[in-house]
Amino acid sequence: MELIEKLTILADAAKYDASCASSGAPKRSSRGKDGIGATNGMGICHSYTPDGRCVSLLKILLTNFCLYDCQYCVNRRSSDVPRARFLPEEVIKLTLDFYQRNYVSGLFLSSGIIQSPDYTMEQLIQVARVLRKDHQFRGYIHLKTIPEADPALIAEAGRYADRLSVNIELPSPDSLIRLAPEKQIGSITGAMGTIDNASNESRADKRAPRFAPGGQSTQMIVGADASDDSRILRTAEALYGDYRLRRVYYSAFSPIPNSPTSVPFQAPPLLREHRLYQADFLLRSYGFKADELIGNTGNLPLDIDPKLAWALVNRAQFPVDLNRAEPAMIARVPGIGIRTAQRIVSLRRLKRIRFEDLLRMRCVIDKARPFVVTSDYRPQQDTTESSSLRMQLSDQPAQMALWA
Amino acid sequence: MRVLCCDDDFETWRSQARTLLAEGLPPHDVVWEDENRPQLFAAQASPACRANAPVTRVPAELVEQLRCAAQCRMPGRWNLLYRILWRVTRGEREAMLAGDPDGSELHRRIKTASREAHHLHAFVRLHPVHDAPDLDYIAWYEPAHDILAGSSMHFAERLGRQRWLIATPQDAVWYDGAQLEYRRPCPEAWRARAQALSGGADRLWETYYASIFNPARLNRKTMQGHMPLRFWKGLTEGKLIPVLLSEARAGSQKDGQAEGVRGKAGKAIRLARQRVVRDS
Repeated sequence: MELIEKLTILADAAKYDASCASSGAPKRSSRGKDGIGATNGMGICHSYTPDGRCVSLLKILLTNFCLYDCQYCVNRRSSDVPRARFLPEEVIKLTLDFYQRNYVSGLFLSSGIIQSPDYTMEQLIQVARVLRKDHQFRGYIHLKTIPEADPALIAEAGRYADRLSVNIELPSPDSLIRLAPEKQIGSITGAMGTIDNASNESRADKRAPRFAPGGQSTQMIVGADASDDSRILRTAEALYGDYRLRRVYYSAFSPIPNSPTSVPFQAPPLLREHRLYQADFLLRSYGFKADELIGNTGNLPLDIDPKLAWALVNRAQFPVDLNRAEPAMIARVPGIGIRTAQRIVSLRRLKRIRFEDLLRMRCVIDKARPFVVTSDYRPQQDTTESSSLRMQLSDQPAQMALWA
Repeated sequence: MRVLCCDDDFETWRSQARTLLAEGLPPHDVVWEDENRPQLFAAQASPACRANAPVTRVPAELVEQLRCAAQCRMPGRWNLLYRILWRVTRGEREAMLAGDPDGSELHRRIKTASREAHHLHAFVRLHPVHDAPDLDYIAWYEPAHDILAGSSMHFAERLGRQRWLIATPQDAVWYDGAQLEYRRPCPEAWRARAQALSGGADRLWETYYASIFNPARLNRKTMQGHMPLRFWKGLTEGKLIPVLLSEARAGSQKDGQAEGVRGKAGKAIRLARQRVVRDS
């Protein structure tokens, strides 16, 4: 099979993994050295596809032959998709070529399970090893980790990769049993634990070789089973706490060709996925707890963002006086992000905060207005019912147009 | 009114500004000529740098902020910078902060410049040069601001000892594997070489781009928000975008599969001990 045909099939097979991040790596440079590649911790999106997703890495499967029969996966063994398999040197050549032309900042390599989990993991490691050792490639490498693989192989993968990921796949163990019969929650969390331990050991001993310095991430599929947002966010919160994951990615379930009847065949719930990412950001960076963000319905509202939703049911904590409040509380005001909160705090050391300062700092003023007090402003809507505020502030329903 | 010209060069402006500060000339008495929009009165010669002018102390952070904001091709760029410098030297530190009208504009420009530098790092497409003794990669790129000089060492970090040239309508950089040479204006010969190779096709990359796209998630608005239309013509994949958009709208968005995969013969996998339904 020609390289171009393999690439067609194995990129198509890889697109359901949401992550394409090239961030979190230590600073590396090839300036004045043999070999190529640099990382600076930031990550670069070299392109965007018409689905609005970032292209940062060459994201492909080594092969989409697979012994497993996960119902949500286009590459499950019972699916009659075209199959292909790259030789390791083909992946290496593509990575180096795409990197030098500035299309990508590295490689995200995953694979269907062939022969055995250990064999598959060895194949992935081989690509990373040759890139790092033979080609002195210093760009970003993200390796998918096969949960059932030998911990010694996971340890080896972490020496070459900037990031490792084990997919949790579904928000509940019951769904995993039903939809992914060959996978087990125990081996998934076991692999996450192996990665976390290895990473701790490497950090504790400065002379030890680095282990996956970009940390680990995972992916949860949204909408393939009946789990609600509460379940999803609590699972994410637990993973952040237990294994110190860098990121949980949410992937709205996209209908797949020749879909089995066990999974839905409808438009991916993109707006729901978007709200989950917003809530996830509040968990990671704003100190919110999943409990605070989820109301009694079990799902995040779709018409307003989760921070605004939280503020509307916690009116007693507002309005917030921007000249006095704690920085963490300022960041909890709808329409004011962490960076703006920091700016407000540094500005108020010099002068009293006025309403026009918020305009200048580019707050989302309509959202912030009912919730803030400045030296020259008190909200009139202070006493407005939350329900009518919600009507005023809700986003236009965007979801319909996507499928029309 | 003093009319000055700094050829849109920060160091020239800086030494002019230093002299004006020493003279005590307030911002409303000086105007810098925009290269493309000459003032009614021709620019006067730069004030002579007075060796004995008292050195004005300003925070090092301010100089870096001004240098960064100066990259933005916006009307009145040098005047804004002088006004901020003037105010800070007179004790108005808030002129540097986002809450101040001038400071807010300063930070807006810093943000614009760093976004445009990031665009350069993301969207430059380097084309391999075959059979040339002096270059490995070459690119033609059209930035909206003057960010090339300050942002192109990034590619030396990425590409090690490879030799490359990036040419723009205004300026150019050539890296010979060890040293970076910056030229403004861009030499004609460099421009010709860069433009000759830009716009070339790359079937492998185009294949990857079309295949990694998920038509079931079509979202033009988000794509265009991150990658505005002005960049498309410089991208190898640019001409594919309208095709993929219209194919997805015409119905292939019913599932996630790429057009290139649809219609190829499929293969379900049989386990050693088990026959799988729908095996073909």
